[in-house]
Amino acid sequence: MGAIKNILIKLGSLDRRAIFLIIGLSVLIPLLKPDWVSLPIKPDRNTQKVFDEINKLTANSKVLLSFEYGPSTMPEIHPMAIALIKHMIAKKVSIYGFALWPDGNFMSTDAFLEVGKDLDIIYDQDYINLGYKPGGEAVIKGIVSDIATMYTIDLSGKSIHDLQMMQDIVNITDFDFVISLSAGDPGSKQWVQYATDPKNIPFTTGCTSIQVTDVIPYVENNQILGILAGMPGAAQYEKLVENELRSMGIYSAPGKASGMMSAQSIAHIVIVLFIILGNISYFINRREKKVN
Amino acid sequence: MFSAEIIGAWLVVFLTLCICSFLYNDNPFYKAAEHLYVGVSAGYTLVIAFWTQVQPQLLGRLWPQISENTDSSFFHKVWYFIYETFNFLTTGFGMLDRSIFPENGIKGHNEIQLLYIIPFILGIFMLLRLFPKVGWLARWAIAYIVGMTAGLRFYAYLNSDILIQIQASSIDFNSGWIGIVNGLILFIGTLTGLIYFFFSKEHKGSIGMLSKIGIYFLMIKFGASFGFAVMGRISLLIGRIDRMKEYSTSEFYYATPILSICVIICLIIWAYLIKGNAQDRTFS
Repeated sequence: MGAIKNILIKLGSLDRRAIFLIIGLSVLIPLLKPDWVSLPIKPDRNTQKVFDEINKLTANSKVLLSFEYGPSTMPEIHPMAIALIKHMIAKKVSIYGFALWPDGNFMSTDAFLEVGKDLDIIYDQDYINLGYKPGGEAVIKGIVSDIATMYTIDLSGKSIHDLQMMQDIVNITDFDFVISLSAGDPGSKQWVQYATDPKNIPFTTGCTSIQVTDVIPYVENNQILGILAGMPGAAQYEKLVENELRSMGIYSAPGKASGMMSAQSIAHIVIVLFIILGNISYFINRREKKVN
Repeated sequence: MFSAEIIGAWLVVFLTLCICSFLYNDNPFYKAAEHLYVGVSAGYTLVIAFWTQVQPQLLGRLWPQISENTDSSFFHKVWYFIYETFNFLTTGFGMLDRSIFPENGIKGHNEIQLLYIIPFILGIFMLLRLFPKVGWLARWAIAYIVGMTAGLRFYAYLNSDILIQIQASSIDFNSGWIGIVNGLILFIGTLTGLIYFFFSKEHKGSIGMLSKIGIYFLMIKFGASFGFAVMGRISLLIGRIDRMKEYSTSEFYYATPILSICVIICLIIWAYLIKGNAQDRTFS
């Protein structure tokens, strides 16, 4: 009993670098050996809602897809972007790419390219990419009132007047649905405040885990229709899209987030164990001090 | 042999290892990568903002492209003389090729919109902060930005974050008993949370009790935020490690293992040198 107590006390003063190493290994091993740990992925209520809302869209519906993330949050949001685009392309929905973050240009370009490897997508027929404009809220306000005041050219430098898909588009009311892939501000919040709430347009979001607690009040109130929350949200959506595409007879490569979920789960277990052990060690230490 | 992709992969691995080396200790590798990141981000954002907003949307509206058939009035001549002067200055007195100010104006707009002279002047005022004698002029631009942003945000915030949220925190008695219990918890949580932040009355008696309940709701919120924050950070770590794994193959000339060994050796040498220097200082 005394030996266990000593070990627990020593664990409390474990070098932080040892903890980093253990966390690193708990992530690395499931990535190197995915067969060792295979955990089921079940879609939650919010992911299912996003999927159902997108599924409701008919062919030729117009969806504004905004990219508000960069390479730093790519592992969480990029798989969502790819799965969402695949889903919409399979359903023949027209996608209009925008970006409120400068890095969004790279992310949108890469996401469309990635989907192009699996599905046939044609620029200005299935999607267009208008790219980034600085200004955050001001850009959203511009899109709400008149897109042509903000965007004169697309990402490739082509005039928007020459784009077939832009012929019927004046402002946000011409879109059937808005999606924001957001890693911060400007992002989901601003879309709700300046565009989708005032104009009453259905809106959903895929965001980083850190943002979830800020965004969830809007979700619970149906200001946002469902939410893809971090990497688990991305993995769940990938699974739903994979099943949907299979039922449509379309083959698509499995998404990246699903393959990373085992590492995520193992790392969480390790962190929870460290928190429990840390607390036990703290309480034993405190009691020892009181006794002495 | 060494394609841009391979060089890029080596750079990605090296910079990732530099940043991760902070987990050991603050060191020159980390500092170099950090400074590079800040510099590149600032430079990239500036260039993108200029070429996607300032040049086409501001300068393009002030000096739109004019066709050969356009009547050149006296005003036009003077106006485009200013344009040419700007071009002369930005091309290093005509030594470089035209870039910001193309010949005959900037494509995208059809007519001169003189109203945009106001943001143009305010933008110049903003840059005057660099000159202490006339730096006060920047306050005009800042005042405009603050006023405009406050006005723009006020309505949006009031509507989406206050009015609609208050509406949502009311209890719907038609939603079944689970819905009612849920609504009740939400209502109590909102009310007691707000009471905790009510400082006009001392937190004693019933107010003290309610604010204590509010603390518990806030703690649950912070706990959820912490959990999500951990999940987010782990996701980013997974993303990095996955990328490093991708670059550890022969296709990328074993970038990850080779650079990992190099960085670890350099860190050991650095740690040894630092220790030696610290000992020298102690003895002297």
